[in-house]
Amino acid sequence: MSHAPTGLPFARTDVLADGTAVVTIGGAWNLDSALPAIAIKGDRVKVVAEELTDFDSSLPAWLYAHFKNIRQLDLTALPARLQSLVQMAEKATFSDTHAHDTGFLEHFGTWGVESGSSWGRALEHIGHTTLGFLRMLVGRAKVNWADFKLELQTAGVDALPIVALLGFLTGLIMAYVGLIQLRLVGATVYVANLVSLAMTREMGALMTGIIACGRTSTAYASQLGSMNVSQETDALRALGINPIEYLAVPRILAVTLMVPLLAVFATFIGIFGGMVVACAGDLSIEQYLTQAVRAITFKSFLVGLIKSVAFGFIAAWAGCYRGSVAKRSALGVGEAATSAAVLGITFIVISDALFAVIFNLFDL
Amino acid sequence: MSSADILTCVDLAIGHGSHVIMDRLNLSLPAGKILAIVGPSGCGKSTLMRALGGLDAPLGGTTTLMGVDLNSAEGVRRQDILRQTGFLFQGSALFSSLTLRENIEMPMREFLKAPRQEIRQLAEYKLALVGLADAMDKLPSEISGGMAKRAGIARAMALDPTVIFLDEPSAGLDPVSSGRLDELILRLRDAFGTTVVLVSHEIPSILRTADFCVYLDPDTGTMGAYGPPKSFLQAGQPPKVHAFFSQAHFD
Repeated sequence: MSHAPTGLPFARTDVLADGTAVVTIGGAWNLDSALPAIAIKGDRVKVVAEELTDFDSSLPAWLYAHFKNIRQLDLTALPARLQSLVQMAEKATFSDTHAHDTGFLEHFGTWGVESGSSWGRALEHIGHTTLGFLRMLVGRAKVNWADFKLELQTAGVDALPIVALLGFLTGLIMAYVGLIQLRLVGATVYVANLVSLAMTREMGALMTGIIACGRTSTAYASQLGSMNVSQETDALRALGINPIEYLAVPRILAVTLMVPLLAVFATFIGIFGGMVVACAGDLSIEQYLTQAVRAITFKSFLVGLIKSVAFGFIAAWAGCYRGSVAKRSALGVGEAATSAAVLGITFIVISDALFAVIFNLFDL
Repeated sequence: MSSADILTCVDLAIGHGSHVIMDRLNLSLPAGKILAIVGPSGCGKSTLMRALGGLDAPLGGTTTLMGVDLNSAEGVRRQDILRQTGFLFQGSALFSSLTLRENIEMPMREFLKAPRQEIRQLAEYKLALVGLADAMDKLPSEISGGMAKRAGIARAMALDPTVIFLDEPSAGLDPVSSGRLDELILRLRDAFGTTVVLVSHEIPSILRTADFCVYLDPDTGTMGAYGPPKSFLQAGQPPKVHAFFSQAHFD
């Protein structure tokens, strides 16, 4: 029981002989005031007003919160407008509201099913993308070629500065670390072999793939996710146009073509980065270049090229896939962009490991 | 115009950019009344409502809300008036990353000093008022358009506004739910004396709820009529206004 004079909101409970709890409310109730706390026992309650000077929605909200589960609630002693505000909340039923409580087991089951279905959706998207490419090859797909040209520019040419910077630094770091070790055995000349081989077979493609994930994949997830939110993809479907063919195929094609070119560029820039460190110390430019040219074989170059094609496809596909299944909200678009980068990088590293095994089997 | 008028506009001109779509708008609304803005699609109903609510600056003339000209008021004074208004936008404008409950709690947390538990209690009550007690923890993307409208209304009511602006509140609702909404608007007005300004195409709903109605005539670029909506059905009104109301009422 609580009671406060001078207009502050109060509520007190008295229990009658027949077990009915009588709750007396009074004072001035407003949104900024601290509201009283009461404990109710039993399922028969009568609410009466005493010196109730003023109220806003804080009072009906308080009554609704405390008495919504009481079976026999008597509000007849309250002012009519207050009664109607409480009863309205209790009785408000609109035809499109569905009451459905989910328990822990249902949550767990839903999580399990959704996890499984998200992999299913990913596989389905890969299948549709493949079909889209096949239909494009036979000229039956409606592909947005304007997007394709634009993406060659944005995913390819516009990425040159960042690819150059990261490629240069990668080569530089490898040469620096390599020199420290090779100097111990007097074989510093082989730093050129180390850098050029690593950049050609591995690092050129890998770094470019990761840059594509961070830069292009997230952009595609945001673009397609926003189109999902504004129902643009639904509009395409309604027009009889497959969104994967129209939106995803040109993007994936553009990135799959541009990433190998960027990877070759990154490889040469990386070798140059290694040369800067090597020639600042133990080697001459001629020595470094001679060793580098000897180390790079056609097979190594081919390995790097195959990887970069796969990495480009994965980066673009991850962005298009996550964008196409993004939830229809600002949060959903953000989640899609994040998960596109994570999915892309994870798949690139996994596929790189698989390539290592496969190329080893084929002695490449 | 009298001192009891909570909302007025004098020679108001509204539009987009510098393009005027309606001008010479003059009206005054007493406190605690319901005003409906009607007219053909694209005539500037929502634009007028935004100007009356101080969201957009008018291209000419003046508007006052609670005695304050919002276009000249700045800082705390302007903020204080806007805090006493609630808006329902055409697309509901719910924050998509927040649940319905969080959407309603958000303005309360910003402006009220009440403890967390009371804010939660208030939000639940407001959602229950619009029949969304069972959907409090859903995200806006998980509910229908009609439910989003009602959640938008609950958020507009969050701070017990003195004036509430509703842009097409019945759009997307079935006739039964639309009737419930009319009842809610009337009860809010009766219980708290809330002034309501609404844009609507639902003539039967306007006839049920509104005390005053302004008809915007795109042909003349100004108001075609202003008065109690039932009077628009009677003879003696401009033919266009009478035809608009009679046809819509008949439909």
